[in-house]
Parts: sequence; structure tokens; C-alpha cells
Amino acid sequence: MNEIYGLVRGPLALAAIVVFVAGLIFQARRFFSLTSEKPIVLPPASLLGKIEPRSGPSLDAINNSMLGVHPFLTVITTIFHVCLIMLPIFLLAHNVLLYESFGFSLFVFPELVANIITVIVILGGVFFFLRRIFVYRVRAITTLYDYIILLIVAAPFLTGYMATRQWFDYDTMLILHILSGEVMLVAIPFTKLKHGLLFFLYRYLMRYEHSLGSGTRVWSYSKSVK
Amino acid sequence: MADQEKKPVDTAAIAGMLKKKEPEMKRILNYCVHCSICAESCFLYMAHNGDPQYMPSFKVINSLGKLYKKKGNVDREFLEGIKGLVWGNCALCHRCYCPIGIDIPRMIDFTRSICRSEGVYPEQDGGESWL
Repeated sequence: MNEIYGLVRGPLALAAIVVFVAGLIFQARRFFSLTSEKPIVLPPASLLGKIEPRSGPSLDAINNSMLGVHPFLTVITTIFHVCLIMLPIFLLAHNVLLYESFGFSLFVFPELVANIITVIVILGGVFFFLRRIFVYRVRAITTLYDYIILLIVAAPFLTGYMATRQWFDYDTMLILHILSGEVMLVAIPFTKLKHGLLFFLYRYLMRYEHSLGSGTRVWSYSKSVK
Repeated sequence: MADQEKKPVDTAAIAGMLKKKEPEMKRILNYCVHCSICAESCFLYMAHNGDPQYMPSFKVINSLGKLYKKKGNVDREFLEGIKGLVWGNCALCHRCYCPIGIDIPRMIDFTRSICRSEGVYPEQDGGESWL
């Protein structure tokens, strides 16, 4: 058991982190190589002069966004994603390992807060699982791959919680927790989970109807297609 | 149109079109998280009492998505089948809202181009309804 623990805690963990970081860099570089800056050409000033400038934040824009159409789902998914990202970074146990390995650590959540956040993530996973089963329109486009992705995300939190509570055999649960975390890290850059990174690039940089940012980039085939 | 219907589908030409836009289209297809949040942004989905066939993601997954899965190796029956999805079920109004930033109309537009290249499109003067 100690050998397996040593393997998943050492070389496998390092490999997963390297693949995760390198994968994200690759995806970002690929995005920038497949798109290019294209300045937005505004209509002539004479025409622009006749358009009333927006006086403040548009209520219509909010009403038509995800927040306006699905307020409950927006709150759930936001909390789920924030907790999902923050917990592994600011967990005490992870920071102890970080300190042991690299000699530094970050701010850590108190144990009670960490437990609450873990439960929130697990419940979020259950919510999305049930939504895929019981909401007709979601079920209509759901594939086995979507359930696997959900399992990959939920597994480290579920096994981590079970290990902390010392449910079942602690050593086995701890190894399963580390392994499932490594699987998730490796999966992020190469599966749908990459939306964690690409969300910002697509929504803020790409030009389309619902751009949140400058929207100055467009797909560029001349560079990518011979 | 009648002549086109008799012609076999030029699968090499379709594969060429798919290949040309693969870096963008396949990438975005793989990126969709199948959340269905785009549904309510489609007025046709709303007008048809929430029929998933009018959901923007459903239209793309079951047209362009299948074209990529089959690598363009499709027959005329397949193209006629997706004609309803990309013309009949979509007005290409560009109002579909994707929370993670997928430009859905661009993909529908591309699928229409593929169908059109094989002579598959609605007959506007033949009483065939678009919507």
C-alpha cells in the first residue's frame, strides 16, 4: 500500500500537474494560432451621430442573459464552479503537501468551511446529474460522455470527503482520492472541461453576438489550413 | 433540383469542406458541454412549446456533429434529413445564447453551405415552408 501511495503522491502527481499546465498552455496557444485580431469597423461618424448612446447598464441585456432567463441555475452553477476551483487550492491538506514539497503554502480554509464547500460541490454534481436525467431537453442532447465527465469532476471531491470522514478503508480512499484528482487534472485540458479556460477566451475575445469583452478576434484559416 | 436529387452525394467534396473548417468547427463541437441553456434564446423553441428539436445545440449536434462523426461519408437521405433541422427549425437570426461562448449560428450557416453544395435546400417556390 505504501508503494502505491508513494507512486500516486510522487511521480504520478507531478506528471498530472505537468500535463495539466502544459495542456492549458497548449490550448491557449492553439486558440491564439487559430484566431487573429480583426479591428471592428464602425459605421461612418455621420451615421453614428444619429444613434442614441446607451445611458447606463442595459436591463434588457441582463434579462436576455443566463442570469435573467435562469436565475436559479445561474446561482447554482456559479457557486458550484467557484467552490470547485477554490477548494483544491485552499485546502489545508493540499497546502501541507505543497509546503512539504516546495517550501511554501497559501491561505487555507478552516476545516468546517472546507467541509461545507466539499458538500456544496458534491450536491452540485448530484444536481447536474439529476438535471441530465429528468430535464427532457437536457436528456435529448446528453451522451454517456457527459456522465463520464461529471463523474471525473465529482470523484475527487467525493473520495476526498469520504477519506476525511474516514469512511471505508482510509488508505484505499486516500489513494483513490489522489488518483481521481490526477485523472481530473489530466482531463481538464483535453476534454469538455477545458471550458474552464476557454470560456474566458471565447466569451471575451471572440467576435459574435454575445461577446462580453472586446470581441476583436475572428477565426483565421489562412494560418491553420494549408 | 430534380437532377441534383438523382446525383449521388459527392462525399469527397463534403469531406473537403469539413476538413477546411475542422480546426474551428470540430473544436467547438467538442467544447459544447450539452447544458441546453441555449434553448430559451431560440424563439422557435419557445414557439414550439419547448420541443428540443428547436434547441440550438440540438440542431448543431444532430447536423454538423453527425457530419463530422461520419467524416462527410453521408448519403442524400441524410442531407435531406438534416435539411429540416438547419433550415426548417432555424431562422438564422443569430440570437442563440451560449454561456460558454459558442457561435452557434456560424455552425448552422456552415451546415447549410454543405447541404447547398449538394443541392439540398428548401424550395421556396414549391410551397415548402421554412418554419
